[in-house]
Amino acid sequence: MQQFNVYKIGPEIKISGLDLSFTNSSLFMVLSATAIALFLFFGSKDKRIIPNKVQLISELLYNFVAKMISDTAGSKAKPYFPFIFSLFMFVLLCNMIGMLPYAFTVTSHIIVTLIMALFIFIAVTIIGFLKHGFKYLSIFIPKGVPAILLPLITIIEIISYLSRPVSLSVRLFANMMAGHTMLKVFGGFVISLGVLGGWLPLSFSVALTGLEILVAFLQAYVFAILTCIYLNDALNLHH
Amino acid sequence: MKNQDDFKTRLKIAKNKFQKTALNEDEKGSFMGNAFKLGTELVAAVGVGTIIGFILDNWFDTKPWLIIIFFFLGAIAGILNVIRSAKRMQKND
Repeated sequence: MQQFNVYKIGPEIKISGLDLSFTNSSLFMVLSATAIALFLFFGSKDKRIIPNKVQLISELLYNFVAKMISDTAGSKAKPYFPFIFSLFMFVLLCNMIGMLPYAFTVTSHIIVTLIMALFIFIAVTIIGFLKHGFKYLSIFIPKGVPAILLPLITIIEIISYLSRPVSLSVRLFANMMAGHTMLKVFGGFVISLGVLGGWLPLSFSVALTGLEILVAFLQAYVFAILTCIYLNDALNLHH
Repeated sequence: MKNQDDFKTRLKIAKNKFQKTALNEDEKGSFMGNAFKLGTELVAAVGVGTIIGFILDNWFDTKPWLIIIFFFLGAIAGILNVIRSAKRMQKND
């Protein structure tokens, strides 16, 4: 579909065989990153006691993420707040900008979400090993398992651990792509049914747009909260 | 000095109140987020298990066997994942 096409903008840049050209995908990533930076800059510029709207929204977002981290990962995860906050904001803004007409949805490509998920996965593994050393491997050995079953359970635990980045990335990508495809399909129905029958799919597509905005927020939330949960497993062994 | 002590106690009371309200707030968004989570959790583990089985099969030249075993192990891991997140959801309630 045309809305998922990636094309080059400007000259082709090739560095040692790697194609590093600027694409529309990179353009929308830059756009959402600048939008976050500008918004939070104006939100925190003049710190009023009675906040204006921009300040209110940025404070709400801050509190939302701070509460999420302290609820799921405890006080030990406080140093990782900047990382999780930027992750949440980036996914949220990419999803939301994708909802605008003619915009490109960065998160509807699995390579983008997979890179983010793999980064989280590797970072969490490194944090776990740094904090606990080789004792971190004990997350693969649950407590109170009979010795005969231990090899089997350990293999299952390892598969479960390795499935984390896959489920994290596939969830975000599938939700965004399916949503946009569904909107496109219903939009196509409106055209093909014409003035007489087109009103029903049109109303559906209005409702779906609302649902998609909800999904865009929820997926960003789920992405961030799962990062917190994985971080919790790495910081506090055995719960 | 007395004023400062007074302020400190008031701050403590306010902080307690804030924490209590923060705990009592129900998170309406989170249950839908959790519902979206469960499906992919199951599928991803099956996929990862199958891929591991495929790679190991290519290594050891035992064509269909390891992929079958690891498919089922992946399914078990997926169910385990779902049970874990369901437990986490119940703890939050």
